[in-house]
Amino acid sequence: MTLKKNTRISFTRHLGKNFKDDYTTLQVYSRDMADLPKLVKPFIGNVPDGVIQVRTKEDMQKIYEIANETKVPITQRGGGTAGFGGSVPYKKGIVVDTKGLEYHFLVDPLELTVTINPSVVFSDLQRQLNLEGFSLCSYPSSFHSATVGGWIAHGGYGVGSIQYGGAKEQIAALEVVLPTGEIKRFTDDTELSLFVGSHGTLGTITEVALKIKFDIPLKHQGCTFDSPAELLKGLKYLAEIEPFSIWFLNPDHVALFNELFGYNLPLSYLAIISKEVSFEEEEKEFNTLFNNAIRSSGGQILDRRYINDIWDFRFKGFTLIGDSPDYLVTEVILPIETSDKFVRKLVSRFRGKIHLEGEMVSPTHYALLIYLLFEEKLSEIKKTILTLKLYNVTTRKTKAKGIPYSTGLWFSGYYSRIYGKEQYKQYLEFKRKVDPKNISNPGKVISPKIRFLPIIKLKPIVKLASKMML
Amino acid sequence: MSSPAEWHVDLLEVAQKCVYCGYCSLCPTFKELKWETYHPRGILEQIRMYFSEGVKESVQVEVSKSLFEAIFACTMCKACENICLVDLPLLKVWEQVRQEAFRKGRWNPLLLSLYNKVKSTHNIYGLPTEERLAWANLAGMNMSRRTKKKAPLAFFVGCQASYSGKMGNVAPSVVKILRKTKVNFTILGLDEWCCGSPVFLAGGYSAGRDFAKHNLDQLKELGVERIVTACSGCYRAFKIVYPRVLGEKWDIEVLHITELAEELIKNGKLKLKHSIKEKITFKDPCELVRHCGLVEAPREVIKQIPNVRFEELPSNKHEALCCGGGGLLKLNDSDLVNQVNSRLVSEIKYTEAEIVANGCPTCKDTILTGVKNDNLDVEVLDISELIVRAMEGEK
Repeated sequence: MTLKKNTRISFTRHLGKNFKDDYTTLQVYSRDMADLPKLVKPFIGNVPDGVIQVRTKEDMQKIYEIANETKVPITQRGGGTAGFGGSVPYKKGIVVDTKGLEYHFLVDPLELTVTINPSVVFSDLQRQLNLEGFSLCSYPSSFHSATVGGWIAHGGYGVGSIQYGGAKEQIAALEVVLPTGEIKRFTDDTELSLFVGSHGTLGTITEVALKIKFDIPLKHQGCTFDSPAELLKGLKYLAEIEPFSIWFLNPDHVALFNELFGYNLPLSYLAIISKEVSFEEEEKEFNTLFNNAIRSSGGQILDRRYINDIWDFRFKGFTLIGDSPDYLVTEVILPIETSDKFVRKLVSRFRGKIHLEGEMVSPTHYALLIYLLFEEKLSEIKKTILTLKLYNVTTRKTKAKGIPYSTGLWFSGYYSRIYGKEQYKQYLEFKRKVDPKNISNPGKVISPKIRFLPIIKLKPIVKLASKMML
Repeated sequence: MSSPAEWHVDLLEVAQKCVYCGYCSLCPTFKELKWETYHPRGILEQIRMYFSEGVKESVQVEVSKSLFEAIFACTMCKACENICLVDLPLLKVWEQVRQEAFRKGRWNPLLLSLYNKVKSTHNIYGLPTEERLAWANLAGMNMSRRTKKKAPLAFFVGCQASYSGKMGNVAPSVVKILRKTKVNFTILGLDEWCCGSPVFLAGGYSAGRDFAKHNLDQLKELGVERIVTACSGCYRAFKIVYPRVLGEKWDIEVLHITELAEELIKNGKLKLKHSIKEKITFKDPCELVRHCGLVEAPREVIKQIPNVRFEELPSNKHEALCCGGGGLLKLNDSDLVNQVNSRLVSEIKYTEAEIVANGCPTCKDTILTGVKNDNLDVEVLDISELIVRAMEGEK
């Protein structure tokens, strides 16, 4: 335990049993979906000094007050289901688990918004909305575990983003406890944008008004393409149909589907296109537009028997990696226009090991989830080197103009590349104003001062270490 | 205490296979307690720490405090295993960790007391064996000619239906159905032992094996070909656990009362002639639906009630919410049971049903408490009671 005695007393006095610092709790809260490679851990203070389950915004104000007084860093945590390290401490301190926040659920049927606590999990929220005839507009593929607050802080995209946009476009208002202790409600688009992808560095979200829609049925179509070039051409045409979702897989991923479920899908790039359809005429129009798009792009229409099954599988990508002794995962956003060569190179570089799952997040860009599956357990050194290689491939050594999916810990320093220089300037200005002591999730979004991070810079050290060991 | 080989899993290996996706956050007790040490993936993380090679004893002791607390907060509803993306055998893991807690002398006193009661009196209440047929006396049923006679079908009553006043109508209802349809059946009477379900849930396999062996030997002696029960815990024990703990197959078919009723309706022996005007919903017991995959039979039976007004709970079938009463949670944290149950009660309220039917005495008991706490005007019935009402037309 590295908290000073008085600091610990301050936290326990105000938070009572909602503060824990026993060994086990600290260890459980020291990681997110992607555990840190052992070689990297010595450079990162990922094990917190304490964990707080925040129940009210007043609790959060108090936490910031103590943190400012004692300069103890705060790291917010929603579901802890992303793999970018956003909810993992970098400089120890306190993890603030927002899952305990008071429950809210209030639908405004006229404004088409729902006001909720940020700790609600998407699948729970969708279920509640569906019961009232409404639906989320866009939601992440980690639908069954991600929290709304985590997704916003992470700047996520997901199913439905091609039609309704990413996290940013879903928000009508945010209530945030700023690191200064002030509770503020934001509704202005420019200010809201700053909180999306900020990983809690600007404050802690305590309430969200999310845009919703009426629950309109979806119709699905499927198609296949022989090459990445044809796939990307097809995506361009299909995006013109104005679908709700376009989701695609590479042939190796399709092969796993066949193996696991006894399907006989063609080993090609496979895409499932979904569109909101209210009337029979709309469905007919969708079918016509879809057929035309496939004809123009040189794809083949998929046997309809498989389509619904594959669509139902959209939240279960990890099922396919279950039998692999080891794996690496990352995600990157790519433009359709310039990524053909990149995808081809990526596939040839990791031939046989690479599995791709893509989701169109706008008519021009797609999010590509990259899995590398291995037939043996990797050594720590090999795993670290491959992690770095994968990150390099997806972020630096490409002219595809791709961007990391999110910053978090691993891609801190990439904010301006993701959101633009102008927004970065605004972000910095806001950050200086609300968190001058940098206690709200330090090490995220802005690169830490220590040269070891972003993680990419670790590469020479790891290479040297591996040579010495050999 | 040791578990049979076919039930045994390598805890560390399973824990290491977890991909940390967090889908198991639907765990009903985690939803209430919210600390990630209670999250199934958090429990697996603790297992990794506890069982890792060369772990220091001091670390193991420290981790065990949280691990054992979390493992006994589990309702064994199997929702985590059902949603697990990489198919981890989580239920087996939780049971083995409970065994480890027993080995380390870390069961709570109430659990230990239940375990001892079941072992010594062969029922979960620690009541005299002579009272096992009290339900029949109270219902004015003479079961002497049905007790321990050779018959193709045996009605396995179960401890709750035998001893609990709240379940007083369950066993008589099953008997009424069997008599009305002229099914030749028997009961084990005073020779019926607890199915062992609580012992198995606590992780006590060797003791549980004795119960399995005793009950099966009794049934075999009577030449029984089929067993019917109205208790989902007994059903699971016979259907899934006995073959595993005994390591043998036998030719006795295991039926839940809803399966038998469905069959009797299909072959025209059971006629549900009387309509029930109240709106009905059905709560799928975890042990029926997720453990044993029994989904349609209760619905098929309810559908046969004339002019029935039936509405599914928002979370139904494989996604049914846990009532909170499973996994012996009542012995470890009764407040938590109520918390978990309140979510189910909200769903019952949403349906505006006037009758909530179920197929499990534990669910019935827990829901009864829940609706009472919520002042909800809902009748909680075992499905066998509902069948009798539709069969005889009386309330």
